[in-house]
Amino acid sequence: MSAPLPPVRVERALGLLPELEAVAPLRALLVSISRPDERSLWSSSGPYLTLGKRGIQPDELRRHMPRAFHQITQHLQALYQAYVEALDAQQRSDASGVVRALLQAGRLEEGVGRPTQARAWYEVALRVAEGLQDRRPEVQSLEALGWLALELGRHAEGARHFQRSLALAEGEFDQAGAIAACEGLGDAALWQGQWAGAQAWYSRGLRLAQSSVDRRAVGQLERLLGVLARRQGDLAGAGDHLRRAREASEAAGAADEMARVLNTQGQLEAQLGRHGAASIAYREALAWAQRAPRDPALELAIRLNLAELQLDAERFLEVDEELRRAEQVAIAGNLTRRLAQVYILMGRLRGRQQDETGFVFFEQAIELCKTVERAAATEGQVYLEYGLFRERLGQREEARAYLERAREIFDSVGEALERERVDAELRKLSA
Amino acid sequence: MAHVSTHPSPSPAAPRKENGPPLRILVVAAEEGGGLVQSARQWAGDAGLELETAPDLPRAVRQLAAKRWDVVLALLGEHADEDLAWWVDALRGASGSPRLVAAAQAPSMGLVLRAEKLGVLDLLSLPLRRDDLLQALRRVRAAAAEVPVALPAVEHHAVGPYALVGQSPAMLEVYKLMARVAASEATVLVQGESGTGKEVVARAIHQNGAEAAGPFVAVNCAAIPENLLESELFGHEKGSFTGAITRKIGRFEQAGSGTLFLDEVADMSLALQAKILRAVQEREIERVGGEETIPVDVRLIAATNRDLREQITQGRFREDLYYRLAVVMIRLPRLADRGDDLVLLTAYFVRQFAERYRKQVRAISDRALDLLRNHAWVGNVRELRNVIERAVIVTADDTLRAEHLPDELRGEEASLPDRPQGGTTLLTLAELEARHIARVLAHTSGQIGAAAEILGIHRNTLTRKMKEYGL
Repeated sequence: MSAPLPPVRVERALGLLPELEAVAPLRALLVSISRPDERSLWSSSGPYLTLGKRGIQPDELRRHMPRAFHQITQHLQALYQAYVEALDAQQRSDASGVVRALLQAGRLEEGVGRPTQARAWYEVALRVAEGLQDRRPEVQSLEALGWLALELGRHAEGARHFQRSLALAEGEFDQAGAIAACEGLGDAALWQGQWAGAQAWYSRGLRLAQSSVDRRAVGQLERLLGVLARRQGDLAGAGDHLRRAREASEAAGAADEMARVLNTQGQLEAQLGRHGAASIAYREALAWAQRAPRDPALELAIRLNLAELQLDAERFLEVDEELRRAEQVAIAGNLTRRLAQVYILMGRLRGRQQDETGFVFFEQAIELCKTVERAAATEGQVYLEYGLFRERLGQREEARAYLERAREIFDSVGEALERERVDAELRKLSA
Repeated sequence: MAHVSTHPSPSPAAPRKENGPPLRILVVAAEEGGGLVQSARQWAGDAGLELETAPDLPRAVRQLAAKRWDVVLALLGEHADEDLAWWVDALRGASGSPRLVAAAQAPSMGLVLRAEKLGVLDLLSLPLRRDDLLQALRRVRAAAAEVPVALPAVEHHAVGPYALVGQSPAMLEVYKLMARVAASEATVLVQGESGTGKEVVARAIHQNGAEAAGPFVAVNCAAIPENLLESELFGHEKGSFTGAITRKIGRFEQAGSGTLFLDEVADMSLALQAKILRAVQEREIERVGGEETIPVDVRLIAATNRDLREQITQGRFREDLYYRLAVVMIRLPRLADRGDDLVLLTAYFVRQFAERYRKQVRAISDRALDLLRNHAWVGNVRELRNVIERAVIVTADDTLRAEHLPDELRGEEASLPDRPQGGTTLLTLAELEARHIARVLAHTSGQIGAAAEILGIHRNTLTRKMKEYGL
């Protein structure tokens, strides 16, 4: 009997696949079922294993294809169904129903990572909603567009949608719509480094949530105020907000929100230098994430924070293990941008160990950024960390080149805070 | 004396009480969770347990961090497989390395095997039976009977950040060959399974050779993306390709007057192999995008974990390059073939990591040593090093015990000879068959065709059995 053929490396497998939208699900499937070649796990290249070096068995891909076809068909069925429902509503002259169905189609597209398509559905929904006397469908459409814009890193555009939705929601006494708009406006301000603006919007949202006894929203907004306070260096204030966020979220039975609160609590404890407390908070956050509806992005965010904490404590073996778990979650969940962040941390880990071969993680992260939409800021992050990695190894010329590339990218996407950080690093390098 | 939180009365059917100090157990299940909490409370007295409860995993995490536990008894939910993974993950951060005993409604054979693979002490079926729980707890108590064995003194030969450790006949042969080859300028091919120490040998040859004053530059050919390996080896000029944002001096040039170590050399493309051959033959290179020919003066040592002759037969490796590289061939033995070197290496690593992590570890328990001896060590010395580092990190006392070893090794406890207080579970034929199938499937990375070939049965038979055993 002949031995089984070795698996094909992902880097080679992807090289055979053109960049066509029609085969995007195939690409996603290939990546998600790839796995490390057992032979490489203990080899000297094992610690440097990246997505490209994982293996794929054609037979296994073939076996999984019916599942992929089923998922594609299900998605299309749901999408077409949503459209037919919109037509039904149109026939009944139920314009609100039309908007509802179109928004549902957009959410379906967002759920499978197709933001551009989602945006197209939301825009049609908004156009229909604008002609209605009842303004709530318009509020919902604007809200959907606002969150999507923030997700795509278009903060100013997101803020404009939320401004409009807030004005309309207040006019309609739509408390839930107004709370969501305040949260969105706060997020937009936070991402743009406008602390005072973020504070004002979150506080306004919180007052509305408290008056309508919406515990989940109260927990969420208290958490966001905690995030903001932490970023501004008001650690005591952050602690107070997070305590209240925890009380409200636990009372609301919101496991996902509890996970987020504890994740932020972990960051706060780490900032306070309380390594043990931070570690417990992250582990508790993971436990809550397990109880919540499955959200790999949330789990990943917590694992990355945990790894960063261990990295600060120079517990390299644990960092490596945690990052490998995070890598698996990102790959199985097709979270490419997050996967790039995992590799940034792996590269940083190798830099701390003065291990030059760690550059492979940055190279892989750059590759990943090229394959996803809205990844420019992440790519900037990769170059920034790549530069710091080279600097740590004493390669100043290369470090400067990478930092300058990071600056160009941050400039192009208007990431002022990150750009300032790069400038500071470049100044340090010149000094 | 056992401490029972609310229902201290022992079961009237209890035949005898457990001896020894009480075990601290955290039972994690809702009050209505299959009667688990009630049963555990009822038997706590006889079982010698100090028992506390938590309704779910999130609420258990703080309790796990707050004090030392011996055992966690957890109820798995509807998605038992996923729950199991989360539990194992949560226990990594727990104080005292508690053992996990899981309970589930009608667990499938697949779940049992997964639990075993994850190092779960036992997976019990609901409704919980008193004898099953006591049996599992006896295995935890057996750990307390471990006998410390002093770490032996180890002679080692330092090689940069590494060391050569071992006195087995197989390694003595390697040392002799290394001594002979170091004095020459011959190109060396080091062959051995992953983790056998090929780079350490290469460094030792460099350190004892004529190039010792020059640099030792190592390149891992399998770690570097294929499209970057050429520029990594030969360097590149600025702007020669996208991403070449500065001029780069390659590893051949960096290793000038020293040694270039090409690790996992079989992972190179044939095109690159041709360029390496030219560099070895002509002793000159060209940077990617450059026109200048640059002379290089390096000693080349290559290493591989593959059988290069077989690679040549399959057309994956150039025969001419093979003969250029394998002027002298050093074959490294597997850890499993090095006899008592395992104990010496263990002692060496324990001391090394104890110093790094500021721990006072002076001994290893007989049980832990048995587990180490019993393990297959597919990752050879690298795997052993990793296991010992992790064990030293988690230990808080002066003896490394079985509880400090990773879950995968602890999961192999069942295959060790029985100990006075431990229990032995005799398997049914079906259980034995399921376990063997699971092992073969793990070996073939889940490939049914390959697994069927190894098992010598038809693919359809294997598929049916997998279904039957819930694999």
